[in-house]
Amino acid sequence: MALLEISHVFKFFGGLAANSDIVCSVESGMIMGLIGPNGSGKTTLFNCITGYYPPSRGDIVFKGQRLNGLKPDRVCKLGMARTWQKVRPLAKLTVLENVMVGALARTSSLKVARQAATHQLELMRMEKKANVLAGSLSIGERKKLEVARVLATQPELVLLDEVMGGLNPVESEEIIELILDIKKRGLTQMVIEHDMKAIMRISDRVVVLNSGEKLAEGTPQEIVRNPDVITAYLGSARVA
Amino acid sequence: MKSVGRILPPASGFAAVQLLVILVVVAALFVFPYLVVNPYVLHLMILLFLSVAMGESWNVIGGYCGQYSVGHAAYFGVGAYAALMLLQYQHVAPWWGVWVAIAAALVISLLIGTICFRLRGPYFVLASIAVAEIIRLVVLNWKQFTNGAEGILLVDIPPLKVGATVLTDWLSKTPFYYLGLILALATLLVNYLVQHSKLGYFLQAIREDQDAAHSLGINLSFYKNVALAISALFTAVSGVYYGLYIGFIDPASVLGVDLSVQMVLICIIGGIGTNFGPVVGALVLVPLSEALRANLLSKVLFSLGVVKETSRVGGFLKENLAHAHVLIYGILVVVVILFMPDGVLGFGRKLIAQRSRPFSAKPTSLVGGLDGSA
Repeated sequence: MALLEISHVFKFFGGLAANSDIVCSVESGMIMGLIGPNGSGKTTLFNCITGYYPPSRGDIVFKGQRLNGLKPDRVCKLGMARTWQKVRPLAKLTVLENVMVGALARTSSLKVARQAATHQLELMRMEKKANVLAGSLSIGERKKLEVARVLATQPELVLLDEVMGGLNPVESEEIIELILDIKKRGLTQMVIEHDMKAIMRISDRVVVLNSGEKLAEGTPQEIVRNPDVITAYLGSARVA
Repeated sequence: MKSVGRILPPASGFAAVQLLVILVVVAALFVFPYLVVNPYVLHLMILLFLSVAMGESWNVIGGYCGQYSVGHAAYFGVGAYAALMLLQYQHVAPWWGVWVAIAAALVISLLIGTICFRLRGPYFVLASIAVAEIIRLVVLNWKQFTNGAEGILLVDIPPLKVGATVLTDWLSKTPFYYLGLILALATLLVNYLVQHSKLGYFLQAIREDQDAAHSLGINLSFYKNVALAISALFTAVSGVYYGLYIGFIDPASVLGVDLSVQMVLICIIGGIGTNFGPVVGALVLVPLSEALRANLLSKVLFSLGVVKETSRVGGFLKENLAHAHVLIYGILVVVVILFMPDGVLGFGRKLIAQRSRPFSAKPTSLVGGLDGSA
């Protein structure tokens, strides 16, 4: 049984189907890339999975448990954590305290949480920033902080929503290495990304969404050759 | 750009000095009534303690959790009414009545929290005002039960005895002084404990970003309700203390919106979400409101010769300046929000930090401002 099973999920906003009949399963240990043009429903799907929206129809099953209707905090406790496309640092807390808040999902001891958070920051080579206020970080550092905070909650499944958005090539490369490193640690990831080169490099499988529907699924090599995907991204070839 | 007011934790040597200063101040406050017997000074100190307790209580929900309740008069008033009605009509001693007051405030806080915490930001503020006003109107109009607008004029407080020895008969201000001091210290301690616990971290996470906090496994409504309950508990005790000390309560004095606003102002002016902010706020506001009450400002203007007391302007000032405390409060708040967004305490800390490293780069870098739009 797959770690995460998404079966026939619909999400309506009024008459608009932001997600329509999405089916996919994420196997343990893999990186699932999620791509699609703007407004194709990628973040909506993340919000449905993590409990911010209840799906209008369909089932989301994580580790054999049905998630529909569970609040985000319960979903986090079950072992799933997400980052935000628009970063959400706890601005007036320090970087260390931000990560500690994540670690406190698993412990009540501040001491244990501080140790875990320090360790997490060391792993991500952010320990020098530990006592800096999160609100004063650069955008690249904020994206890394999001990931550090999420990892501190000890998830099995990590959902990364455009962690490379707005980063320069050096920072993007750092994030790619981080994602591959997280995979090595045995965690499963779902990654939304617009950078095609990056997504093709890191993903084991890729799901393509277009106007709320699943357009294609396959290995990165299959996806780049898929005519439907090319049409969705580049438009259809002009009929001569 | 959001202001960055927090300074990194001080070195341990500095912390030891801080602790020493606090201990000396507390010791001085405990011997104070032996040195100063002037009842007006004691009265001012009691008002100060009351303001500290109210501010620190509000700080738990407003400062740490970021839920700006402007309806805290509800807990203050319900606490005061519960204890004073029990004392007046049932002859229940206030040290028993205070527990009923606490229970009543907790029940109300749970009701208000369950309803109002569905709302966020300004909508929560409006809802908190509305619920407090409902409670005020109920107390005002339920005459058979609460004596309505006439309020409750306390006849006397039974003496506090241990065995046969009378500890106090409550006739002087000294017992109220110590009670107030203990209450203020207790609320300070509660703030300290909240700040240095898992609860404090969660509350601050909720304050900074609710959705992020939610995704990090924090049960929003549970922790908001816990914070509100702690806040309501100590606000209610403050209300009981106020009622016993003043000896008279009515809906206008213990349930009015202005009281709720005052609790918020103590924190905003002193420094919201900090341990000692409400203390600083009380130190600013209590003397200020006393000065306005005594019309000190116009007296100063007259004695400086800026305005002649006998002139038309002088007469106008003499008659009206004492009533202008709301206006002056308002101006003060505007000044503080514009120039000291972290309150007087945060402003002072920033000054000290800048003095101690005048040439180093400022921590509030440009980066923090740019990415707000990212």
